[in-house]
Amino acid sequence: MRFRAKIVDLACLNNFSRVINTISKLTKTCTLRLTVCKLYFILSDKVANGGASMWCELCQGNFFDEFQMEGVAAEHNEIYLELVPENLSRALKTAHSAKAVKIKLTNKHCPCLRVAVELPSLSSSSRIVTHDIPVGVIPRRIWNDFREPTMPDFDVSIYLPVLKIMKSVVERMKNLSNFIVIEANLSGEMNLKIETDLVSVTTHFKDLGNPPWASEDGCQSSAQGRNLESMAEARIDIKKLQQLLAGQQVNPTKALCNIVSKRIVHFILLHEDVSLQYFIPALA
Amino acid sequence: MFGRAIHAIARISDEFWFDPVEKGLALRSVNSSRSAYAYVFFSSMFFQHYCWTAVSDPCHKEKELSLPCKLIVKAVLPVFRCANVLGRNVEKCSISTSPSDHHITFQLLCKHGVVKTYNLTFQECDPLQAVFAKHMCPNILKVHSRLLADVMIHFPTSQEEITLSVTPVKVCFKSYTEEDTDFSRTMVTEIHLSPEEFDYFQVGVDSEVTFCLKELRGLLAFSEATGVPVSIHFDRCGKPIAFSIEDVLLEASLILATLCEAQKEADSQERCCPQQWGSSETHPDKPSGDEPNSTDISKHPQRDGNAPTNPVAKQEVKSIPRVTGRDVTGRAGTATAEAAGEATEAPYQKFHSLFFGAVSYKEKDATGHTFQSLATASDTEEDLGPLQSSPVL
Repeated sequence: MRFRAKIVDLACLNNFSRVINTISKLTKTCTLRLTVCKLYFILSDKVANGGASMWCELCQGNFFDEFQMEGVAAEHNEIYLELVPENLSRALKTAHSAKAVKIKLTNKHCPCLRVAVELPSLSSSSRIVTHDIPVGVIPRRIWNDFREPTMPDFDVSIYLPVLKIMKSVVERMKNLSNFIVIEANLSGEMNLKIETDLVSVTTHFKDLGNPPWASEDGCQSSAQGRNLESMAEARIDIKKLQQLLAGQQVNPTKALCNIVSKRIVHFILLHEDVSLQYFIPALA
Repeated sequence: MFGRAIHAIARISDEFWFDPVEKGLALRSVNSSRSAYAYVFFSSMFFQHYCWTAVSDPCHKEKELSLPCKLIVKAVLPVFRCANVLGRNVEKCSISTSPSDHHITFQLLCKHGVVKTYNLTFQECDPLQAVFAKHMCPNILKVHSRLLADVMIHFPTSQEEITLSVTPVKVCFKSYTEEDTDFSRTMVTEIHLSPEEFDYFQVGVDSEVTFCLKELRGLLAFSEATGVPVSIHFDRCGKPIAFSIEDVLLEASLILATLCEAQKEADSQERCCPQQWGSSETHPDKPSGDEPNSTDISKHPQRDGNAPTNPVAKQEVKSIPRVTGRDVTGRAGTATAEAAGEATEAPYQKFHSLFFGAVSYKEKDATGHTFQSLATASDTEEDLGPLQSSPVL
C-alpha cells in the first residue's frame, strides 16, 4: 500500500486547504478513500454522527501535480484511511506561501500521513515543515460500509438561497432553538422555521428555482404528480445545518437540497472541482 | 512596551517581583514549578523620568536597600490590557511607590484629560534570581524574533513542549511527545532550518533540548514588539536554555528548564540528590529508567545546586547544601515539611532545576564565587552554621 502526492501550484493548494477546512467543520473524524483518479471524504451514517452522513468527491488531477497510489491489492486498487481532518487542516494552514507540499503515507510507529511543506526562506536552502498525521487503515472487509449513498426519493428539490444569508439566518436561529424545520415546495419557495414555547420565527425565501431532474423511469415519480404549492418539510438538528453552512468558504457553483418529507434532507453543493453531499436525517 | 512586558511575564506566573534599582527597573517572575524564570530590565533611560531613592534600613546601618516587592500579575494586567489601544490613548504613564503603606500607584494619563489611577498593594519580598552562566554555553544562536515566530506558528497552540535539536549543519524544532502518549492519535510536527537563517550560529556540542513552548511565546511576542533579535544560549539536554534580548533601553531574558534524558543521567543521579530532601525533585527511590529526572549532573562545580523547595509565598529562601555537604541535619525538619509540598509537583520533576540565588545588591560582583548555594534572606532568624554562605548573584 503506497501513496504519494505533491502539490506545487499555490492556487491548487489553497483550494485543497479550503476543502479540508470545510470537511473539518462538519465532522471530527472521517474516512479518506483514495483511488487512482479520485479522493473521497466519507462519513457514514452511524448513530455516533447523529445520523448525518457526508460524501465529498474530488478529482485528484485538479489539485495534485503528482499523484501515485497503490492500493491494498491489484484488483482492489484503493486505500481507505480513517483520519481527523482537523489535523490535516492545521498542517496546511501555514502553507500559504509554500513552494511545494508533499503528502506521503508512511508507517513508522503507526500509519501516518506525512505532510511535508517546503517553505521559502531567506537562505539558500528552504525550510521544511513536516507534520505526521496519524491515520487508521480501514480493512477491506468493511469497505462496504462506505459506499456512495443513493439519491433519496425526494419530494421536493430546490436550489438553496445565497449561502451567506442562509448562514446568518440559521446562526441567529441557533441561539433560540435546537431544531429547525426546513420546508420547500416546487414553486421555488423555502421556509426556515423554529418554534419554542416563547417564540416562533420563520424566514421565507422565494424565487429560488427548482432544479430540473431528468425523470428516470419513475424514480422521481413522487415529485412529479405533486402539487406545486405543497410543502415538503423536515425537522432537523440546527447545529448540523449551521456547521454545513459555516464550513463553506467559497460560494458553490450550484447549491441545492432535496427534501424527503419527514425523513431526510439531502444537500448537494457543487464547486468546480469538488462535489459535496451531506445528509441530515429528520427528527421526530 | 511596558504593558507588553507585563503580558509576557503574565504567561509565566501569577505574581512577579517589581524591583527598582538605581540603574533601572527590573521585573522578575518565576513559575510555580520553578522551571521557568523571566527577567525584564528597563534601564532608566527607557523612562522619561526615573527617580529611585534608596530606603535605608535602620538595622543595617550604612547599607542601602532598594525596595523589591511582589505584585500579583492579575492585578497589574488590567492596567496594561489592550497594549495596542494603550499606545493610542495614553500619553503618559507614571509609576510610583510609597513604601510606608505598601502601595504602588500606576497612573495613566490619557487623551482628553482622562486620568486612570490604579493603586495596588504589594508584598515586600526578596526576589529570586536564576543563576545561569550564559557565557559558558557552547551553543549560541541569534536570530530575529520574526523567524522564531514563523517557526512557532506551525505548532498548535496547545503544544506544550518542543524539542530543539542542533548539529553544526542543521537546526530542527519538533513537537515533543512523552513516551507514553498514544502515537496513533497525536500529530507530530517537525521544522528543519538551515544554519544560514540565523544571524549568528554557533554549535559547540550537538544537543537536543526540550522546553516548554507556552512560556516562550510570551517572550516572543514581546521581542517582536521591540524588534530586537533574540539570542538563544543552551547546552546539552538537562541544562537550562536561555532566550534573551538586549538593547540599550531594555533587556529581557527567559530561562527555561529543559528535560533531561533518564538514561544518560541515571548514573549521576545519586550524586546530586541530597538524601534528606526526601521526595524532592529527583525521587531517588524511583527506578532510573522510569522517567527523565531533573537532577543536575553538572560536571562543573560552579553549577551545582538545586531549586529551592519552599513555595514562593514564603519570604525566606533556604540555603541548599552543596553536593558534598549532605550532612545538614539541622535542616532536616524544614526539609521534610517542604518535601511534602514538593511531592505535589511530581509532573514537573522531570524538568531540570534552575539555580536561584537571592538577589542582594551589595554582592553584585561576587561572580567568581564557587559556592552557588541559595542564601537566606537577610531577615531570617535561623543560623545555619557553616554551610550558609553569602548570597550570590
